[in-house]
This record gives sequence, C-alpha cells and structure tokens, in this order.
Amino acid sequence: MSLKTATILSLLITVIGAVVLLQGSTFHWFGNQQGYAPVQPIQFSHKVHARDHQIACLYCHSGAEKSKVAGIPAAAVCMNCHSQILKNSPEVQKITRALTEGKPIEWIKVHSLPRHAVFDHSRHFAAGVQCQECHGPVQTMERVAQTETLLMGMCVNCHRTHREVTLDATGRAIVSKERSQARLQASTDCVVCHH
Amino acid sequence: MSKSQDKILQEHDIREGDTPKPHAGVSRRSFIEMIGYSAAVLALNGCRAPEQKIIPYLRQPVELTPGVANWYASTCGGCGASCGTLVKVRDGRPIKLEGNQEHPLSKGGLCALAHGLVFSLYDSDRLRHPLIKADAATWDDIDQQINKNFAAVRQSHGKLRLLTPLISSPTSRKVIATFLQHFPDARHISYQPVSSSAIHEAHAQTHRRSAVPAYRIENARLVVSFSADFLGTWMAPVQFTRSYSQARNLQSGREMLRHIQFESHMSLTGSNADRRVAVSPDEEIEALLLVAKRVATMAGSVDRVPAELASFEPTRLSPEIRSIVDILFEELRIRQGKSLVLSGSNSVSAQIVINFINQALHNYGHTLDLANGSDRSQVSDRAIVDLVEEMNTGQVAALVISGVNPAYDYFAREEFIRGLNKVPLKISLSSILDETASLADYVCPQPHFLESWNDAEPEPGLFSLTQPAIAPLFNTRPYQESLLRWSEDGRSFYDVLRKHWQEKLFPQQPGGSFDEFWDQSLHDGIVRLATPPSTTPEFTSASLNDAVKQLKEESNATAGKLTVALFESVVLRDGTHANNPWLQELPDPLSKVTWDNTANISPDLARQLQLEEGSLIRVSKSAVSVELPVHIQIGQHPECVSIALGYGRTGAGKVGNHIGANAYPLVSFARGTFQYLVSGIVLEKTGGKVELARTQLQDTLGERPIVRELTLASYLEGKPKESEAHRGERKDLWPGYEYTEHKWGMVVDLNACVGCSACLLSCQAENNVPVVGKEEVLRRREMHWIRLDRYYKGTDDDPTVAFQPVMCQQCDNASCESVCPVLATVHSSEGLNMQVYNRCVGTRYCENNCAYKVRRFNWFEYPHEDALANLALNPDVTVRSRGVMEKCTFCVQRIEAAKIRARNEGRAIRDGEIQTACQQSCPAGAIAFGNLIDLKSRAAQLKHDERNYMLLEELNLRPPLSYMAKVRNVENLA
Repeated sequence: MSLKTATILSLLITVIGAVVLLQGSTFHWFGNQQGYAPVQPIQFSHKVHARDHQIACLYCHSGAEKSKVAGIPAAAVCMNCHSQILKNSPEVQKITRALTEGKPIEWIKVHSLPRHAVFDHSRHFAAGVQCQECHGPVQTMERVAQTETLLMGMCVNCHRTHREVTLDATGRAIVSKERSQARLQASTDCVVCHH
Repeated sequence: MSKSQDKILQEHDIREGDTPKPHAGVSRRSFIEMIGYSAAVLALNGCRAPEQKIIPYLRQPVELTPGVANWYASTCGGCGASCGTLVKVRDGRPIKLEGNQEHPLSKGGLCALAHGLVFSLYDSDRLRHPLIKADAATWDDIDQQINKNFAAVRQSHGKLRLLTPLISSPTSRKVIATFLQHFPDARHISYQPVSSSAIHEAHAQTHRRSAVPAYRIENARLVVSFSADFLGTWMAPVQFTRSYSQARNLQSGREMLRHIQFESHMSLTGSNADRRVAVSPDEEIEALLLVAKRVATMAGSVDRVPAELASFEPTRLSPEIRSIVDILFEELRIRQGKSLVLSGSNSVSAQIVINFINQALHNYGHTLDLANGSDRSQVSDRAIVDLVEEMNTGQVAALVISGVNPAYDYFAREEFIRGLNKVPLKISLSSILDETASLADYVCPQPHFLESWNDAEPEPGLFSLTQPAIAPLFNTRPYQESLLRWSEDGRSFYDVLRKHWQEKLFPQQPGGSFDEFWDQSLHDGIVRLATPPSTTPEFTSASLNDAVKQLKEESNATAGKLTVALFESVVLRDGTHANNPWLQELPDPLSKVTWDNTANISPDLARQLQLEEGSLIRVSKSAVSVELPVHIQIGQHPECVSIALGYGRTGAGKVGNHIGANAYPLVSFARGTFQYLVSGIVLEKTGGKVELARTQLQDTLGERPIVRELTLASYLEGKPKESEAHRGERKDLWPGYEYTEHKWGMVVDLNACVGCSACLLSCQAENNVPVVGKEEVLRRREMHWIRLDRYYKGTDDDPTVAFQPVMCQQCDNASCESVCPVLATVHSSEGLNMQVYNRCVGTRYCENNCAYKVRRFNWFEYPHEDALANLALNPDVTVRSRGVMEKCTFCVQRIEAAKIRARNEGRAIRDGEIQTACQQSCPAGAIAFGNLIDLKSRAAQLKHDERNYMLLEELNLRPPLSYMAKVRNVENLA
C-alpha cells in the first residue's frame, strides 16, 4: 500500500468516525461533562426533598456556607428525618444498613472540577450566587445531572460580568443583561482558581 | 521514586537508540499507527472523565467540616527542646506544623527538623504491629509473654534496665518510676547520643545543683561562645535564635547584641558571629583560659585566684587572638550581668571554667538562670557506659529500650551489641525496626508524636501538652502505656496524664474546675504555673583549680595534632529521623551538600594533602576509621576536620539507609563524658573521588552588592546605602501597573536571618514541593522554592558569612512574563507573578530569562508511589506534573483563603493576617509579608527603612520583595 492510499484511508476513517460520533448529543469537548447523570447507589430524589418538601439546600450541604466544599451529608443526617419517615422504604433501608454495618455510602460525584482548579463554595454563597447557577435546577431533578458545562469559560464569564441572577418559576437561573453594581467585582486573576 | 525515574530514563535511552529507518511505502505498522491516531483523536473528543466517588461520613464529628482545617496546639517531639507547635489537620490528616506564637520559649518559631516530622508520620517504614522475634504478634500475646518473663526476672532478683532518651515529660517520668518499683533491682538510664551532660555535671560541682540553666540571650548585650552552636543544634536552637534576633533587632532601641565566636569547625552559629575567630582546638582552650584568667584578676571576682589559673600563660595564641581576647575582656568587664559566655564542649572542666566566668561577671540571674534550671541529677553519660559493662558481664536480666538506638549511635556499638546479645530479655519500644530494635526479642512499636498524648516541662513551672492530631495509623501503643501494662495498670496513658495534671498541676493554680483548666491548657498547648521563687545557689570555686589544670594538659596534649570535631548537622541532628527524604534533601546551610555527610577540611589542609572537593579519605583513630568524601570548608581551622553525625544508618528504612558514613565510632568517652573533639587522628587519601550533590557552587560575590552589609557604626551615623549609585529614575518599557486594593510585598531582614533553613522545609510542606533524589540534585534539578544562598567574604582562613533566602521576587517588570509563549506566567492585579500550571507547556524560557534563578522545572512526574506519603500533601495546592514550571507563589493559597475569609466577613484584610509558610515559623522572625499599599503595614514600613534594598536593583525588575541590609557589630573588633 502506498503512502497516499494509506493517508486517504486514514482520513476517510476519521471522517466517517466523526460523522457517526458527532451526531446528536453524544459529542462533548474533552473535559465537558454536561449531561452526566450517573446512577447513584441510593435513588435519592432532589425533587422530592428540595421542591416537594422544601428542604433548604444547606440543611444537607451545610459545608457550602463555611467551606470550600459543599459536602455530601453524613448518613446520620438522613436519619434525622428517616428514623421516623418512610422507615421501610428499600432506599432508606440502605442508609440504615450502612449505619448499622459501619460502611459509608459511596456516592458518585457528578459535578467535578479538574484538580488544578480551586472553587470555594463559601465565597460564592456569601456573594449571593445561587446554587442553581452552576448546578442547574437540582430541585426538579429525580436524579442529579450536570446541566452546565462547568468549564473555565463559564466561571470567567461570571467573574467578568457579574450579572444579577434570579431564579424563574421552574428554578432555572435567569441571568440579567445588566451588570450588578451591588455585588463585589470578582477577580479574574488566574491564581484565584489555579494555585 | 528513583525506581520509576530509572524506568523513564531507560525508556528514553531506548527511544534515542532506536533510529528510524527510511521506508519506501507504508508498512503495516505505520498504517495501524495512523488508524490508531485517528481513533485516538475521536476518542479524546468524546471521552468522559473517569468515575469519581464521594464517600461522606456515616456520622460526621461536630468539630469537623470537610475542606476546613482544624488546628491543634501541641508540642514538637523532634528533640528535647519541646517547642510549641500548632498542627494543621485537614480532613483528618495532619499536614503541617507551625509555630505556636503563645509559647513563651519558642515564640512561634520552629526548626527545619520540626517541619520535616510531618512527613515522618506517613513513613511507610514505620512498624505496623508488635513483633515477637521478628514475627507479627498481638498486644495480648506480647503482654502475656513479657509479663511472664518479667515475673521470672522479679523472682530471680534479676537486674532490669530501662534505656530512654532524656525524658522531659513529668507524667512519663512518673510512669517510669512506678514501672521500676515493680522490680527489685531496676534502674532508668537516660542516654543522649549527642550529649551535653558536662553542663549539669559542672554545675553540680560549681553550684551544687545538677541542672542546666535557662539561657536568656535576649537579656545579653554580648555573647561569647566557644564552639557552642546555639543557633544550629545546641540545646534549644529555636528559642535561642528567637532571642538572638530580638537582641540584635535595630528597631528595639536597645544596644545591639554583639556576638563573638571562637571555634575550629565552621558552624552555623560561628557563621553569624560579628567576629568569628578560627582557632585550633588547643588554642580554643587557651583562649578560654585566658579569658578566665583576666576575669579572675578583675577586682572582686574571686577571693583568691586559683594557682593553676594564676600561673597560666598562653603559649600558642597568636598576637591577634590575644588582642581580641583583650578587647573582649574589656567588653565583658563593662557588660557585667549583660553578657553570656558559652561553651559547646562536653568536657566538665571546660564547663566549670565557663561557670566561673559567668559567675564572676555576675551573669547568673540575668542572662542565665540556674534557679529555674532544668534538673538533670539523674542523667549522666557514665550511666550507659556502666550499663554496657554490666551487659557484657552478663548481669542484666532484662533490658527495655525506648526511643534510643545505641546499636547505631553508641560510640562503641560493637561492644553494645555484644552486650545486648548476652541479655536474656530484650524489649524494644521503637517505632521503626532500627539497628537496635532488630536485635530485640520483642518490639512494641510506639506511635508518632502527632498520634500521641504527652506532656513536657521545658522549664520549671512551664508545662506543655502534646495531643494526638490523628488516630494512630498503625497498631502501635505509646511506650508509657506499654510500661503501664507491665506494671499491672490497665489505664490508658491519657487517663494517667489527665490524672497527673489534676493531682499535681491543677492545685497549683487558682480556682476554676479541673475540666476548665484542662480544656484551656489543651487549647493553649502550654500552661505557666507560678514556681516557688528560688535563689541562685552559691558558687564554689573548689573545683576550678583542677579543671584549669586538666584543660592545660588537654591543650598541651592536642597541640599541633589533627583533631576531628564531630557535630550534629542542622538538618539531620543525631540521625534519628534519617529516613525522612525532606531532611536528607535539605542542603546543609554551610556546605550546601545534600544526601551525604562529608569530612570538612580547610583549604590549607586540602592543598597540603592534595585533596579536592569530593576526594575520598579515610579518617582514622587507632582501630576505628570512617571513609568519607572531602568538602573543602572555608573558615575551617587547618588542624580541624569536622564530620556530621547522624549519617550512615543501616536500619533507618529505605530512604535513610547507607547515606553517608557513621561517624559515631570516632566519639570517645573520657573523664565521665562523651567527647566529640578527638585529637590525634590520621587522614589517608583512599584515591577515589565522588561528586557531592551540592546546591550552591558559587561561594563568593566579588564586589557585587547582592548581600549588602554595613557596620553598626555606619548604620547609626546614617550613612547612605552602598547602593545609592544604582538608584535613580529608570525608564520602563511597559506602562506599569496600577494596584487598587492589594499589592503584596515581602521584606527579608538579612540582619535577622541566621540561615537555619527552616523556611525551606516549611515551604516544602505547604506547597507540595517534591523531593528529587541525589542523582537529580547532581543534575541541578532540585525543586526547593526557596534557595538559601550562603556567601563568603574575606579570606579563606577568616571569612565572614552571609545568608540570603532567595525566592521568586514577583517582579513588576518580570523578565519571565515577557518570554512565555503561552501566557502561563502573567501578572496578577495584586502584584503577584502568577504561574498557571495548567497553561504551562514547559518551554523553560521563563527559567532561562529569570534574573534570580528561582524557577523550578518538573523534569519528571514525581509520583508518590507510596500511597501513605500522599497523605502529607496539602490539598489546597495543586500537585504539579511533569513538564511544568513552578516557583514560589507568596503562598497564594493562603492569600486567597484570607481574602475569602475577610470578604465573607465583610472587612478588609488585617495586617499580619496572611503569613506565608516561610514567614510563619521563621525562628528569627526575619520575614515580613503584607500589603504594600497599606502604608501602615509592617512590610510597607520596612520597605521604606533605610536598610532596605532590592536585589539586582539595576535591572529595574521592580520586585515587591526586598531585603534589609545586614548590620555587623564589629566596632573595635576588626
């Protein structure tokens, strides 16, 4: 086989492969996890908890207020209610079992930043950023999915413009076109996130 | 680590050797490669990150928030000085030690060793369970067997001996005493491989009190030291460095402390002296005696000058040295009660003479406090020598060894091992299977000090607590608890400690409940109880005459002979922590050698013996010899060869074994104490030569004003700075930056810096700086973000030394920023020179263009294959990968954390709120960091001090990091 034939063949395979893979929503840029919704060990519904029963995000993710990480609640936090409510649900039983056996629940991380990027929940919380701006309308989700790209462009856009964000009736974030004067200008220095 | 590097190198070699052959068409192989490439491109586009798990607590402890560090006050267990520390615990893991500012002795300082100890916690060579004859065992089994054996010892009235280091913990001493009571013939022996017991033995003779005085250098205006390395390793170096720099602070408004050092080997302390007099060991004794004689003849010092002292006439001192002693004596005379004379010698006679001098100068009660000294009446070097004799004559029935390693560091180790083999019951309480533990029948490993409870009494009335910052990683048990088990006491050591504090300490302070007292003590880490006022014991000069006589003989006997000075290195100390790669790779402050100990000889001697840097020599004394590479040390006296102890371990672990040579066999035992100066040695060239892994090869500066110095007199006169010529307006190529809120800046006071190297390790721990190994240091690829430069000035025999820590200067006109092709290094809006790891492609242009040479390149992925060692990593700092440039960031993670804290609280950052890792625990307090826009900040004020200058100012790089010129108090001393 000559070099020419081989090159043509190789290119052909690339193009055909691209056509197959790039159709529909299957394609993502490297690192973009948008749409990621793994099956969790416990079928926990944010819709039931955060919307139907109006439990505040911070009740479970209390770290968001004071720490870099929002944190996943300890199994004991679930039992604050579930020691009384729906004790016999097979999903609640999994938590009870975890506690009695001393085996923590291994949740699958949905929203993930690369290791060289630092995000501090407490600062964003104090600045009035809504959880939904980055995490999407979690209170409508039966199973949590990543709705935003969480790529650097998204962070920098917000840090640059710092627009007022409100939530609509469905809990989706509406970003106003006006720059907010009320909020402190966020830094766009690289080291704010990369150190 | 080295294994993987070798692998990478091998692969590299293979690739280089594999030259591509010209090919006509396309082989099947390259076709498949092409298809593979296409597939890879597509796969890369569509791929997902690997699945990650989050595992929350089942029940989250109340005091813990994931992502927020907890701090615990504790006590450093590195040496006997018991400095106060704060342990940073992040997500359950201790990751950093910092100094406790409220500790009255260490005052927030920590040494390099302390910083390194965090890494020792995660040492995978630590023992993970108890051993019976080298086999894994359970605590129940081991206790049962040991108790059975002990019963037999008791029955047969056999001798039990307990060998430990100096125990400064009152509760542990009590546990030990109770344990010993269970045996008819039991004795506790404290053993210090590098001993200073001559000090308390001398006080026993001169003041009838066997104690080590508390030294108060901060009260002194003149320190004269005969070989005492008090800034490096002697007694409590952190405390001394803090008080030394306080006493030399020019802003204090007091007379600046003057420091004169007589020594034969170049020590860290000597290198900081205003006047360092290089003398041979015999001249040092003569100089000491001459000072004593002058002091004795001073009116009113003693009733009668001892005959031996009156008749003393120096025979070998040069006229210059005599004139220095004359000046010195004049200064001492007018600074009575404000001077301090020290000796690092472990000879009782020398210490008796020192005591006499300090007594005659009325220094007791002012610059040294014997009334509040630490009692050492139970400690002597002779005890272990007697023990070894007992062991060899088969008299010892049981030996319990905890925390010491005489099979490595006892001067006659073969004799010790021979004796040990004759002991029927050998129990080791070591945390690693070291040289001694590997000979024991039972090994009961004890936890790291960060996993244990303990207390300490560094000074009478001052108590400090050690609290665990993590549950023990391995199946270990504190040695105190083992002793309790063997004295029919089932309590935990924590219970005993609390009880002891409740019974002994709590009643000594006013009111409150014990729980409150305990919680407060635990919170503070220290508690100061009022001590009954005691007066300095009477001085008696009875022993002086004999001491002088003995010193004269010693001086005559050593005259003209080659002497070896054995010293503790600032880095490794006595060698206990040799398995710590951070410590091994920390360059010695003077020789700048890493991963090795050397025989340091003077340039004169090297010429005479035709030795070069790295030539191998054999240093021998009668039957004992040590083979080492030579380091030519400027300032060393030609009659002195100095060798660092603590190297040449064989049972330290995979990092520390076979590094350097063990010099302990050269130590001698004479007149009741260990002697670290041994004369009459023979040097032999063995012919070979090795390359030393040194991090600095340029020793002098010539006329370049890199380290600026001025004399105290010219400083007081307000003479313009040396650099004035370099000043003046300069044109910039760039418009410059405007800073609105913050402009971070740092000032390093070279007058305070003593070169202890603690900042290097503090930085290493904070910023996940990798260890590269000896081979890579030889290739100049060390990674420390701070380079501690050491420069000599003057002649080879009589140099002055200056230290200068150089880290990234965060230049405004940064030469690195303008050459980066990918904008991986850019300027921040707060004046930081940012290095963006994820953008860096590794061209190394920035490194080449950096005027200060402070950038470090990751030549390899420095993986911690050892998963345990990864636990020491700081999660707030990215672990850099191969091919990425890195450098000092001014601890930007701390700046950002402080900014977040302040903004969340809706306030501005307070001055001093941000402390960089190097600054926080600098024992000398040499570093100031802050916002230069805020003119009231300490950094801004020092920036405008007249001593302030910028490094390489003439290049107009405009760094916000500046230095303060060194001031030498040399009037009349030149």
